[in-house]
Amino acid sequence: MDDHAPIANLSASNDDADISGDPRLRPAPRGAFALAGVTVGLLVAAWLAVYFLLFLTRGPVG
Amino acid sequence: MAVDEPSVARSEKHWAIAMVAVSTVLLSSIVYAAVGMHLRPPSNNVETIDPATLHVSGEFVEDNLGTSVDSKGNVTIRVVTAQFAFQPACVVVPQDTPVTLRLASPDVIHGIIVVGTNVNTMVVPGYVSQVRTRFHQLGEQLMPCHEFCGLGHSQMLAHVRVVPKADFKPDAERRVTCAAK
Repeated sequence: MDDHAPIANLSASNDDADISGDPRLRPAPRGAFALAGVTVGLLVAAWLAVYFLLFLTRGPVG
Repeated sequence: MAVDEPSVARSEKHWAIAMVAVSTVLLSSIVYAAVGMHLRPPSNNVETIDPATLHVSGEFVEDNLGTSVDSKGNVTIRVVTAQFAFQPACVVVPQDTPVTLRLASPDVIHGIIVVGTNVNTMVVPGYVSQVRTRFHQLGEQLMPCHEFCGLGHSQMLAHVRVVPKADFKPDAERRVTCAAK
């Protein structure tokens, strides 16, 4: 097979194809929102902890 | 498995709402501190000075450096940051008292941070850097240069000596130095 095969054409030819039976698409990502939510939640919690418990307790500067 | 576009759109909308909420919480915290606690970055004070003559005349002449107390009791610390030393290298401040640090550089960009406090500013030639704060923790605190200023940068440090109010006794010229005990 030619490594430089026209991928665009391949995609175009599949535009109307029914991909619901494609086994490669069956294991769809699950829990992505939970993972992203926990990650962002930890990041925000760490930011707030540093800001309120460390930065602000040291007193204002200006 | 067909792509459920309404579901994707709904998910993205929920995520966008969450991100707006997070941004609102973070920005509100910053605005609260700025307005409610008068916490403002040192850059809110823009004051120029001639770096070529600051040691000859004006408030940064050698005799006027260090800690001084004016007739109203306001404590001001003036420090010149130059390659590769602070002048003076030690300053005295009273504990839990409003103090004003004023710094100027005659050569290159320097910076100061007082360890364990929020005092942190750059010192840019041509400008006076000013920080108002209170020092709560008694003892000697390190104040290194935190802006790379040349080969001797790592040797450039000073100390802030925080003493109890009762021990903070200005001399006849209303000055307090680390040498005085």
